[in-house]
Amino acid sequence: VATGKRNDRKAAQEFLSEAEEILERMRRDHAELEETWAEGSEPDPELVNRLFRSAHSLKGAAGMFGFETLGALAHHLEDVLDALRLGRLAGDSPAARLVGEAVALLGLLLEGLGESGSAGPADAATADLTRRIAEALASSGPAGEPLASLDLDPALAAALTEYEEHRLRENVRQGRHILVVEASFEILDFERGLTELTASAREHGELISTLPSPAGGADSEIRFALLVASGLEPEAFAARLGSASASVRCVLPRRTRSQAASGVSPRRPASPAREGQAPVESLRSLSGMVRVDIRKLDELMNLVGDLALQRAALGEMVERLLADPRTVAAGAELAKQRKLLERKIHALQTAVLNARMVPLRQVFEKLARVARQLRRELGRNVRLDLRGAETELDKLVAEELVDPLMHLVRNAFDHAIEPEPERLAAGKPAEGVIEIEARPRGNHVVISVRDDGRGIDPDRVRRRAEAAGLLWPGQTPTERELLELLFLPGFTTREDVSETSGRGVGMDVVKSNVTALGGVVELDSVPGRGTRATLTLPVTLAILQALVVRAGDQRYAIPLNSVLETHPVARAEIQRCDGRELWNLRGEALPLVRLAREFRLAAAPEPEKSHVVVLGVAEARVGLVVDALEGQQDAVIKPIQGPARGTRGIVGATDLGGRGAVLVLDAASLVEDGLRRRSAS
Amino acid sequence: VSADARTANAGWEGFARRAGEQRFGAAGDAQESRGRGAVSALRQWVGVRLENELYALPIESLREVVRLRPITPMPRVPDHVLGIIALRGEMIQVIDLRRCLGLPAAQPRSGARIVVLRDRDDRAAALLVDAVTGVLRVPESDLRPPPGGESSKSVAVCRYRDVFVSLLDLDRVLGRDAA
Repeated sequence: VATGKRNDRKAAQEFLSEAEEILERMRRDHAELEETWAEGSEPDPELVNRLFRSAHSLKGAAGMFGFETLGALAHHLEDVLDALRLGRLAGDSPAARLVGEAVALLGLLLEGLGESGSAGPADAATADLTRRIAEALASSGPAGEPLASLDLDPALAAALTEYEEHRLRENVRQGRHILVVEASFEILDFERGLTELTASAREHGELISTLPSPAGGADSEIRFALLVASGLEPEAFAARLGSASASVRCVLPRRTRSQAASGVSPRRPASPAREGQAPVESLRSLSGMVRVDIRKLDELMNLVGDLALQRAALGEMVERLLADPRTVAAGAELAKQRKLLERKIHALQTAVLNARMVPLRQVFEKLARVARQLRRELGRNVRLDLRGAETELDKLVAEELVDPLMHLVRNAFDHAIEPEPERLAAGKPAEGVIEIEARPRGNHVVISVRDDGRGIDPDRVRRRAEAAGLLWPGQTPTERELLELLFLPGFTTREDVSETSGRGVGMDVVKSNVTALGGVVELDSVPGRGTRATLTLPVTLAILQALVVRAGDQRYAIPLNSVLETHPVARAEIQRCDGRELWNLRGEALPLVRLAREFRLAAAPEPEKSHVVVLGVAEARVGLVVDALEGQQDAVIKPIQGPARGTRGIVGATDLGGRGAVLVLDAASLVEDGLRRRSAS
Repeated sequence: VSADARTANAGWEGFARRAGEQRFGAAGDAQESRGRGAVSALRQWVGVRLENELYALPIESLREVVRLRPITPMPRVPDHVLGIIALRGEMIQVIDLRRCLGLPAAQPRSGARIVVLRDRDDRAAALLVDAVTGVLRVPESDLRPPPGGESSKSVAVCRYRDVFVSLLDLDRVLGRDAA
């Protein structure tokens, strides 16, 4: 029973953190929605869609975890938003006004759940609001005029979603032409044509739907039908579409203003001042800040990455020109220009990277909120000290950090910090402290999470590891190696119930998240005094310097920040000792890992000469044996998409100057595996 | 999900629904399915050849078709994952459709194509096939339950110009079938 309760609580925590995230998004979107309504303009359809999806996810999550009141409210809110996005409700209708109330009440409910596990007094308010929403919805108007007046192929019309029908209707209401654009593309090459066509259609109107055309065609071609609304005359639209193969047909001509006005009454009286004033106000509100979609910055980053690759190609050309006496003068001039270009590219790279930087403050605020919640929920006297909130990180890295840090804070609450009587008995202050500190260090940011709890008892870890078969009796791991065991999945869960279980829950998750970011986690602990987790993370993931190496017939890129040095080695220099290959690096035995063997590349005879790349992650060193070094390059790491996930030893792939995909190695896991094998073999 | 729901006909309905959700999306969202007309009127498939067998993929699942290009092998992945290709800056895994369907592996020939599928769960994937044969427009009345029964990776089979074609369920082929 006790474990069951624990699981419930864990599940509830998971739900709370997820729900908070959703709610935060809803608050932002709702504020924007209110703003557009206040201005008297139509909101971006995507904004309402996003709110709708958020309410839907919240409903789903609440249902899964059995929070019925909250689920019911989310459900009603979803209904209102659905009616809004489908045009069944206008922005100034009474029901629409309830969106704000519902979002605020969801916040209250969540807070109540965090405190006591049940919503309590907010229940009554919820019942009242859901009733009012239901009433307001019942009195809302019908979906709008039928679309029978459209000269549309019935098969196409039948395939439209309700949302698309609404957009269609909305565009009819605004008096735009409704057009069907049909075009056929070679099946082997349809993507490019279709992308160009849809992009062009979006530029000159609203793309309502893209469907395979019901009209037949040649076997080797796919025919598409695009339903578009545009203010342009059909002929003008066709001309601007700029596609010779596409046919444009008008299925509903634009009506004149008076026709449109008499057909459907406008949503609200047009404000006479609006046209003149709106631009002035929006200019004033800019105040020097522009919000940019992170994807746009990604795109910029990719372009800069490509530019850097181009620069490398230019370098090769300079070399060639300089090598030939007839062109050496031109080569020298080009070299000079290239240097200037290089400086500019570097400045551009830095500027784009800076644009992606955000202070850790946002992450810290989330942690503070979780800590407040836990304090109430567990009735614990624990203080969270946050330092270095101004430290900046790439936006994506910062986002990925929330989960691991949240895990660490929870662990400290759950396991590390002792109950008050125990603390007092140990001569500690009644109030426990969790201190999170961030500080920049070169191209990295170091974040430490420290508590003044009971610490980790190494003997206990050893006993449990022996019981789990991870160590054999008599093996004497160092303290660091023992703490490393805590990162293994499921290592401590079995004795979760015991009050001295120390850390463990989710530590494997912390580690895998941080590793995925190219970072390192280290644990250290003084029994009775506390535990500290130190996360070292790269400031950005976007561009890195890579060493390109060859093993077998494959190329690999290694992030240069993990490469300490490289050495050519002859086969005779590699020694075997205690079942391992070692190399003498200035008197120290460097354990070797052969990349070809590690990745089971097609067996080739071991070459007479190869290279050792010394990888260093924190204090650990391993020599990676490769066939050849192919030089340094700037690389933009891309995630690998596809069904097979999380391949150990690989962090992603990069396109090195159009030579196809090259895998980027994960130095941290290679080093770790290389060292672990020491005891195994 | 009960075993009943996995029978051929239910599978077809399920597919029709999924195909509806997985649209050439313009503006809406994925929680809404296409109107009923989508299933009958817009049922088109892209035929692909493996050895001498003809298979078909739902046209909605296609993102693009590219010529065979060098595939960078990946370590530590299942056999049917051939490796990755770089496609306009994206790194996409290529799956050997032969192995997924239990056919013997073979060296890709010159006509081989890589069929890139639309993102599912925000991830793209690609299939290696021997050839892309063309668009199949199949009337609903021509569809038959797959002979493979429950374990089948098809939603239906049909005769198309005197050849049997297996219409594939990509979720099952790629092992993404929801439990």
